[in-house]
Amino acid sequence: MIIRCRELSKSYFRGSLEIPVLQGLELEIPEGGYYALMGPSGSGKTTLLNLIAGIDRPTGGSLEVCGFALNDLDDDELAGWRASHVGFIFQNYNLVPVLNAFENVELPLLLTDLSRAQRRERVMEALDLVNLTDRLGNYPRQLSGGQEQRVAIARAIVGDPELLVADEPTGSLDARNAEEVLALMERLNRDLGKTILMVTHDPKAAQHARVQVHLEKGVLERTVEVRK
Amino acid sequence: MRRSRFTSIWVLVILRSLLRSKRRTVLTVLSLAVSVALVAVLQSVLFTLDSFTTNPNSSNRIAVRHKVSITNLLPMRHAEWIRRQPGVEAVMGLQWFQGVYLDRSNFFPNFASEGEYITTLFKEEVVDYSEFQYRDFLRDRNGCLAGRALADKYGWKVGDVITLKSDIFPITVRLTLRCIFRSRKPSDEMGLHFHYKLLEEGVPYMKGRIGTLWVRAKSPDEVPRLIERIDRHFADATEPTTSETENAFQLNFLKMMGNYSAMIQSITAAVLVAILVVTANTMAMAIRERNTEIAVFRAMGFTGLQVLGLLMAEGVLLSVLGGLLGLGLAGLMAGGVRQTAGTFLPYLQDFMIPGEVLMFCLHATMGVGLLSTFIPAYRAIRRPIIDGLRAL
Repeated sequence: MIIRCRELSKSYFRGSLEIPVLQGLELEIPEGGYYALMGPSGSGKTTLLNLIAGIDRPTGGSLEVCGFALNDLDDDELAGWRASHVGFIFQNYNLVPVLNAFENVELPLLLTDLSRAQRRERVMEALDLVNLTDRLGNYPRQLSGGQEQRVAIARAIVGDPELLVADEPTGSLDARNAEEVLALMERLNRDLGKTILMVTHDPKAAQHARVQVHLEKGVLERTVEVRK
Repeated sequence: MRRSRFTSIWVLVILRSLLRSKRRTVLTVLSLAVSVALVAVLQSVLFTLDSFTTNPNSSNRIAVRHKVSITNLLPMRHAEWIRRQPGVEAVMGLQWFQGVYLDRSNFFPNFASEGEYITTLFKEEVVDYSEFQYRDFLRDRNGCLAGRALADKYGWKVGDVITLKSDIFPITVRLTLRCIFRSRKPSDEMGLHFHYKLLEEGVPYMKGRIGTLWVRAKSPDEVPRLIERIDRHFADATEPTTSETENAFQLNFLKMMGNYSAMIQSITAAVLVAILVVTANTMAMAIRERNTEIAVFRAMGFTGLQVLGLLMAEGVLLSVLGGLLGLGLAGLMAGGVRQTAGTFLPYLQDFMIPGEVLMFCLHATMGVGLLSTFIPAYRAIRRPIIDGLRAL
């Protein structure tokens, strides 16, 4: 299993008031899985995604991702772990506006020991995979929403992480671009064996995942296998 | 843990981040530049004035004046006694004349002095002159000797007649320029000397009396002993003396302008605080606008320290750019100061921005960059990543 959640819980505090978001969640995701986290607003799906991605910390239970017990890592170790194991895809792409497509994709590789030539090779491979080698000198403002998200996907995969986390990756795209992005993610899962965890409201998007996990008020409600 | 690499893309990120809001960056750099130019000029004025009180050439010169004040006169016979003392190389009577040439805007220092001692007493200042011209000066009662910079300023040549009407003595002297000397720095070439005898003859109450006596000791080691001996000897005289090193004399003279050092330092401090606030405001805005971007960097695996370094480098670069531009501006202003303030304050004839001030300003701007960026940058990296991502 690439992800193991045991009795996982998370609460936020407003003053002395505790607001539980996740409660005693048990979840296991195998390597190479493509999971869609679904549920109404406030159900805890983004919180669960953040915990699994190592950008938030649980208040209870244990969490093991890619062979690491995340509870045991300090902030710097967790940053190093994210750099090696997780690729992020955001709803609003979150590209650095002052860097062009090539430089945006190269950014995570600055945390590695790769040479300039090796980095260039990896960036070109990633951009080729998302079919954007002709746009590498373009700045985010010169790209369409769909192209921006594809650059963001290239940035997420350039470091070859085992796990891709995507928070509403098609939320800001029109239907055609959304379909392109979802097809690309499906290919990453199928052909490259990336484990994908995607938060989505969109049932159509969720159909691309193999398994749908439904959350309700911070509790795992049901798990539905969509396809093999 | 993987090691981060400092590559050109970091520099790109920093440089391009500065240019996100070009107008804001340009305005901040300009305000920094003007402030740094002001600080550099003020500090250089202080440095220049201080250099007159720490002049190494003057280490064996002593100024002797009346104990009551510099405006009280000493009898010339004091000079005769001092000349006889062991360790004394030369003594010269020097009287500030305050002569006006043509009109009051043409200010330059001019003195009635015992010209025969000038090349001994001020040998480090009167460096290069024609022996022939100097002998002419000594022979001519109405002769005068002037520095090259002064002669050039008014287009004087040897043989020209120069009329000076004193502001403090009821006399106008008509002098003939007999000798022009060169010195090591322009401020030392801005003086004019004529024979004390001319003043004695024209002003009855000046007969046998002089404003200051300048003593040159044979070696700097003799100076403290001579000071003590001169003042002790004249302690009970009708005209008691106060003797001091030339540097101390210059310092007292400058103190007549008030506590200029404290004033300049206060203005410098105020300007530095002002630029700190301006830069802090710019950096706080620049960082606040990028909360999401900072969160994305950290989500990708950049540590808080790496992001902090990136933001700090941006702040330091911004302030150093302003600092360098300001120093260039100060360099241009230095010429203006020499031409304007230097005409009525000869100390500023040598005005320039010294290396010490350049370094001070560069360090100060780097400090401003670091201080102004640290707090907003530290707050940004302490913010939870998920808050930054939500800030969209």
